[in-house]
Amino acid sequence: MDLLLSAASQIATPMTVLCIVLGTVFGVIIGVLPGLGSVIGLTMVLPFTFSLDQFPSIALMLGVYCGSVYGGSITAIILNTPGTPQSAATALEGFPMAKAGNADLAIGWVTTASTLGGLFSVLVFVLAGPWLARFSLQFTPVEYFALGLFAMTCIAGVSSGHLVKGLVAGGIGLMLACIGVDPVTGDMRYTFGSFQLSAGIGLIPVIVGLFAYSEMFLRVLEIDDEKPAASHFRVGFRMPPWREWRLRLGMLLRGSVLGSFVGALPGTGAATAAFIAYSEAHRTSKRRENFGKGEPDGLVACESANNAVTGSALVPTLALGIPGDPVTAVMLGALVIQGVAPGPQLFQQNLDLVYGIFLCLIVVNLVMFAAGALGASVFTRVLRIPEPILIGLILIVSTVGAYGVSGSIFDIWIAFCAGIAGAVLRYFSYPLAPIVIGMVLGPTIEMSLRQGLILSDGNILEFFLHPIASALFLLTLAMLCWPALRARKARRG
Amino acid sequence: MEIRKYGAAKRGAKALVAAAALAVAAGGAMAQSNRPVTVIVPFAAGGGTDITTRAMQQGLSESLDANIIVKNTDGAGGTLGVGEAARARPDGRTLAMAPVGPLTTQPHLRQLPYDIDSFDYVCLAYSAPTVIAVRKDSEYQTLDDLIAFAKANPGKVTFAVQAIGSIPHIAGLALADAAGIEMTYLPVNGDGPALKALLDGTADVFIPHVSFYTSNADQLNSLALLQKGRLAEQPDLVTAAEQGYALDFPIWGGLVTPKGTSAEDLTRLETGCKAAVESEPFQERMKAVKQPSAYLGAADFAAFVQDKYDTNRKLLEKAGLLSK
Repeated sequence: MDLLLSAASQIATPMTVLCIVLGTVFGVIIGVLPGLGSVIGLTMVLPFTFSLDQFPSIALMLGVYCGSVYGGSITAIILNTPGTPQSAATALEGFPMAKAGNADLAIGWVTTASTLGGLFSVLVFVLAGPWLARFSLQFTPVEYFALGLFAMTCIAGVSSGHLVKGLVAGGIGLMLACIGVDPVTGDMRYTFGSFQLSAGIGLIPVIVGLFAYSEMFLRVLEIDDEKPAASHFRVGFRMPPWREWRLRLGMLLRGSVLGSFVGALPGTGAATAAFIAYSEAHRTSKRRENFGKGEPDGLVACESANNAVTGSALVPTLALGIPGDPVTAVMLGALVIQGVAPGPQLFQQNLDLVYGIFLCLIVVNLVMFAAGALGASVFTRVLRIPEPILIGLILIVSTVGAYGVSGSIFDIWIAFCAGIAGAVLRYFSYPLAPIVIGMVLGPTIEMSLRQGLILSDGNILEFFLHPIASALFLLTLAMLCWPALRARKARRG
Repeated sequence: MEIRKYGAAKRGAKALVAAAALAVAAGGAMAQSNRPVTVIVPFAAGGGTDITTRAMQQGLSESLDANIIVKNTDGAGGTLGVGEAARARPDGRTLAMAPVGPLTTQPHLRQLPYDIDSFDYVCLAYSAPTVIAVRKDSEYQTLDDLIAFAKANPGKVTFAVQAIGSIPHIAGLALADAAGIEMTYLPVNGDGPALKALLDGTADVFIPHVSFYTSNADQLNSLALLQKGRLAEQPDLVTAAEQGYALDFPIWGGLVTPKGTSAEDLTRLETGCKAAVESEPFQERMKAVKQPSAYLGAADFAAFVQDKYDTNRKLLEKAGLLSK
């Protein structure tokens, strides 16, 4: 308790509070802008942390981190363009809700779910940190492979009604992920001698193209269609009523637990967590027939999950010194400069730091809620911008985003090609989210499979000696059989 | 009707304000200034090379009297960013923080659109040794323990490799060659995943940079420092040479410009680099990770790169990794 109070006094300095507020608001803005995501946001504030004290700089980074994970969902809702990969699943329900005129309500759902999911993971971070760190070490390459396969079953959940097309899209994603350096031998694959392609195809430019560009291309083509009047779109921020929320507390809890669990495993991330949570919601929801038409269940599940990753992703980063993804890697790099030594002893000997981060995260999540609620009136007004102007603006902003990842013109071309491909695929009603799933999971699945084979001397049967992996394999099998079983049951019933 | 029209106009205006807000935010992302100098970091933000470069930012900016933009162009083992620098205009406004890998090992491994002749050399900014590291509670407490076990059980020692053809990989191959042992090489994606592989028991040993070892010293033991003599900053680290294996594998990096940069620009940049390396933020960073300071001027750095280029070629040839 004394430690908590002393940590509170460290946080309660004007500088730290200022850093939390500025960091969070900046993070939300970065998240909202398509293409610009958590890594770029953190890289941009990195130089400031060099001259700040320990707590203000930690506060600044945590704010940017959590804010950016949340911010991406706003663009997903309003423009059907996830601002960050983490929010790709949010567009599936958020955009239909906005199209029905209820963008204010959709933002209400995701803001509340994000905040509650984030707060849940803060508790996980402080209460279960060391335990979770030990747990994450149970995951060797074989377990990652099994988890990756399991996560691939999400494709079924996100391509409702178009399963075969969803699988094709997932296959495209996996193939795109193969381009570039072979992770085991170092050879070049499918680069056709192109030096630029040797780095592979970036996820961000593809997302910008698939979602933002293709959406705009299709809008241009249909520009004379009858559009709902601007007044059809409600602006502002609307809290979902309690009677609606009550029905979805289970979804919220499940999303939060899933997110915290996935976040604690280095090498996975918020995008994976959101997709798994979404497809779990789709599988178990009582309102599953509403999925794809703006069902809050889906929003609550994926937004609580991706924000629940934030707290638990810090666990392996701090307690083991193993950052799970590029986002936590940037933060760890900056924390080491601040004199933080990661490792198991951090949760024992450096409790004031742990509590400081804990309190910072709580405040960050609350500020995030306020920023979302206040910003919603600005964001939702975007829907009332005359369409030609809006399309122009989105194209400019998202091009900056595609370029900004690695400052390369080549990435803009990738985004452009992905945009055309995305428009064609959409026209033939191929779901696009499986492409993202394939690109996100492909490298994990490939690397862990090949590592597992090296370790077992090429004997894949040894994989089944791993209990956690075997359980995940069985679970994967069950997921694949689930629709058939349900259909059979429905026929009998 | 008039009133409604006015209302629509007002709404439109509000919408425009919202749009402008978006545009301003986007514009802010691209801070502009007069004739800034870009330093390309060929790896992702937050990594060792990136943070070292950013620690030089202020000193470089003051000395050159220009804004310094650090640009992360990650990909293909750092060759993408270094290749971009090779193609840039040689006007002294584009530099790269070129590390050991993309300069002296990658060109031997595959066809690249640049070679060491594609650059003018400004300065060596940092250089520090690597260490052979095992888990703190590992059964191997000395290099001899590891070698004895590997001799008795060929292929049973698993060695996590951060990247194929990287210095840690070459160092591991050199160790195996010198000690006459066989190990299993497990590719992982960098230092973090290598540490993970050690902690979860997947791998037994890996070779990190000494600064990575230092910041994770609670969980790791060093079996050998891969440098000729001991490190003044950490004198308790035993060298491989003391244990009978003359292994010397530093990881270093320095500033380069595209070939054809004027002598005048080069001198200016060399002075700037020296000032940046001597600046307080940079020295503090080195102290924080207990890394020795290293600096070589333009001429010495060029000779140094040529020497390492030839040595690494021989090592890769011996390991059978050479492409051409």
